[in-house]
Amino acid sequence: MAWTWFHRLASPPHIYRVAGRLTPWFAWPAALLIVAGLIGGLVLAPPDYQQGDGYRILYVHVPSAWLSLMAYTTLAVAAGVGLIWRMKVAHAVAASCAPIGASFTFAALVTGSLWGKPMWGTYWQWDPRLTSELILLFLYLGYMGLRSAFDDVQRADRVSAVLAVVGVVNVPIIHYSVIWWNSLHQGPSVMMLGKPTMPPSMLIPLLIMFVGFTLFFGALLLVRLRGEVLGRERTASWIREALRP
Amino acid sequence: MAFLDMGGYWAYVWPAYAVTLVVMALNIIWARQLLKRSRKEALRRLSIGGNQT
Repeated sequence: MAWTWFHRLASPPHIYRVAGRLTPWFAWPAALLIVAGLIGGLVLAPPDYQQGDGYRILYVHVPSAWLSLMAYTTLAVAAGVGLIWRMKVAHAVAASCAPIGASFTFAALVTGSLWGKPMWGTYWQWDPRLTSELILLFLYLGYMGLRSAFDDVQRADRVSAVLAVVGVVNVPIIHYSVIWWNSLHQGPSVMMLGKPTMPPSMLIPLLIMFVGFTLFFGALLLVRLRGEVLGRERTASWIREALRP
Repeated sequence: MAFLDMGGYWAYVWPAYAVTLVVMALNIIWARQLLKRSRKEALRRLSIGGNQT
């Protein structure tokens, strides 16, 4: 009885319908917040006393890095749920996360190296934070490569899920790398517990970007999820219903 | 002009924003393509598979 919502949540036609209906509620606020964050970060926020206007890369770098970790965590949890409870929809969520996460990991690495050049004097250092983020990119690429090696979606789901779950150890390593090791990368910019290290005029555009990127991820995930769910479905009746114009 | 110059950091700031925006745009295109492709394939399966439920 208490489980009916869970079963309904896991039912593909329900997911397909709900995801479609939810998408605009993520996409439009995401668009508005990202535009607001861009204006806030590029125009309204004051220059940094040490890094001048160069620090403005922060407003795209930090949310991209955040998204790269959030997407991987979502992927690994979904893959784990898919493995344990044999839920098709959970595997579909995991598969949907990978290309989004990979591309934002790439963005985080590129924007980071564009920040590193003027501030550290180099585009790249084999530093704990940078190296573990690069490993994250390889994990995503490995996950997607492994999936594409199978013709059978169900087998691809199970095998790739194992890699995804094992790879999750890298997430805390990335997060704490700047604290555990003496890293070239600067420490946390936003202290979630404790007082922020930035004045509000700099912090607010960043927080707006965080929320904007998170909602953007949600919107992309919902669209991809519908594609993945539909691709796994063989039941003619609901496909016909789902595709009815 | 001062805005475009980004305090001398223009060669780093603008490419960083450009890369991020391109990644966002590509993500929108890719996600929509996936859904469109899945719809087309599902329709094709329907027309081949007939009426199994």
